[in-house]
Amino acid sequence: MTRLALTVALAFALPSLASAQEAQSVRLGFFPNLTHAPALVGLERGTFQKALGKVKLEPKEFVSGTTLTEAFAAGQIDIAYIGPGPAINAIGRGMPVQIIAGASEAGAVLVARKDSAIKSYKDLAGKTVAVPSLGNTQDISLRHILNENDLKSKADGGNVTITPVAPADVMAAFAAKRVDATLVPEPWGAVLEAQGHRIIGTEKTVWRGGNYPTTIVIVNAKFAQANPALVTAFLKAHTDAVAFLNKSPAAAQAAVNKQLLALTGAKIDLRVLQRAFARTRFTTALDPAALKEYAALNVEAGYARSAPDLTPFLRK
Amino acid sequence: MTTLDHAGPARPARGPSRWVALAWQLLGLVLILGVWWLLTDVLKLYPPYVFPGPKAVWTEISYGLWGSGPQDGKLLSAIGGSLRRMLTGYLIAVALGVLVGLLMGAWRPLRTTLGAYLTGIQSVPSIAFVPFAILFFGLNERAALAVVILEGFIPMALAVSGALLNVPPALRVAGRTLGANALGLTLRVLLPASLPNILTGLRTAWSFAWRALVGGELLIGGVASLGEQLEVGRNTANVALVLATIIIIGLIGGLFDALLRTFEGRVRRDYGLEVPQ
Repeated sequence: MTRLALTVALAFALPSLASAQEAQSVRLGFFPNLTHAPALVGLERGTFQKALGKVKLEPKEFVSGTTLTEAFAAGQIDIAYIGPGPAINAIGRGMPVQIIAGASEAGAVLVARKDSAIKSYKDLAGKTVAVPSLGNTQDISLRHILNENDLKSKADGGNVTITPVAPADVMAAFAAKRVDATLVPEPWGAVLEAQGHRIIGTEKTVWRGGNYPTTIVIVNAKFAQANPALVTAFLKAHTDAVAFLNKSPAAAQAAVNKQLLALTGAKIDLRVLQRAFARTRFTTALDPAALKEYAALNVEAGYARSAPDLTPFLRK
Repeated sequence: MTTLDHAGPARPARGPSRWVALAWQLLGLVLILGVWWLLTDVLKLYPPYVFPGPKAVWTEISYGLWGSGPQDGKLLSAIGGSLRRMLTGYLIAVALGVLVGLLMGAWRPLRTTLGAYLTGIQSVPSIAFVPFAILFFGLNERAALAVVILEGFIPMALAVSGALLNVPPALRVAGRTLGANALGLTLRVLLPASLPNILTGLRTAWSFAWRALVGGELLIGGVASLGEQLEVGRNTANVALVLATIIIIGLIGGLFDALLRTFEGRVRRDYGLEVPQ
């Protein structure tokens, strides 16, 4: 009996022993969105791999922050580009998260299907609105917009149906009239706009006059502790990628487009991508005040009961 | 949950033996909770965001069921939504299943064709039908309902047609000899005679439909449902909420199963299929 108990205990304990001290590889999580352009550019131009030297970079793509968080919790992601919503949730649950830099700001728009009657936020009453996934950054933004307009989601007793649809699949969902509107990160807003769908909320009216983080860079705190040099090297590569995006937008757009095509199979018109670029800002700066407000929105959306103090989780 | 399943098909437990069984079940529950608590809260083998302890799960249950904050009580409304959807779907499925089952029982060609197909379809996991149902009905609860009806209907139809075939020929002959026509024979002889087997079908249909419901709700989202609670828990890294929802799904499933089992057992006893000890 005791031996059985010991075996059981060991079997449960083994996975936690598996995390090695000196990393042989860096597992990077990101999404195929324009708001993750620093990741896309860094991958396309080999900036990250160059900075990491002999340590192998293993990029892993996700559809939304919520699936990425799962992988993070399972210890399969070391560094990630992620929205503030899931990052704050992860911190609230006690995951070893450290926020090390900003990546992009604004770059999310609310698009209504062209044959729907939706012209303003108020018209969302009784409609179905898609977000990349429940609990992600755009979902939290959408719930705030609804709140501001005296609307409520169906699950909260209101009449707006919020449904999760991957941004790249919204086009098909619009065509089949399964959803009436969507709050998506770029370039998917510009792609939908190019197909004649209507933007009813721009990156500025969605929240905070456009001054909100859409993507930030997080690192597994245990990984950071064991591999400070790797994290510093990655951070430098990230800064380079952001600088490249701001200095040579044309070349950066080509690089982003190449990665998006490879990852999603969607070939995006360069003019569409330019429009999406114009609505997104790339910066490594972090606005603690905006993050704090996000944490409050997360509570308002009903995804947390209290907002965690983020100060200890920000890299100084 | 699982403890209820082992209660056996209506073992006529009377007097002290029922209390003994209950004591064993309680002991089992305490043991499970104890091991769970030991692994998580005491030994801390896993971080709480991977495997939370019973206390964290209890917090979610209490907030979700009787919390009074603005974001509380969601589990309760989810249970309400899921049960309403379930009962609607189940009643339609049972009605359809009885009808088709009767037709299959009465008409051999239908039994050999449709019956075989239904057995085949039954082996497809319900979740596989959800994307198809979404295309037909849209991303809404009708899609989930459609899958529930399909999953409940098949075991019901198969149980009814099978039960009719298992009626002893003597009863059929007796009914005919006493002058019953086809309808009378079906309604007043065959159906009553196959009641015990039909009740087993009702129970199977319930468990199939319940599983299908939660699977469907996971994908449709947007309405108050247990499936959505699972999805929200997953998406907000709230594993305690996921576990709380799993426990509630299991409890409700087990409770209804026990209810139907009691009813089934009583009927089987009345039919002399179980011998009271």
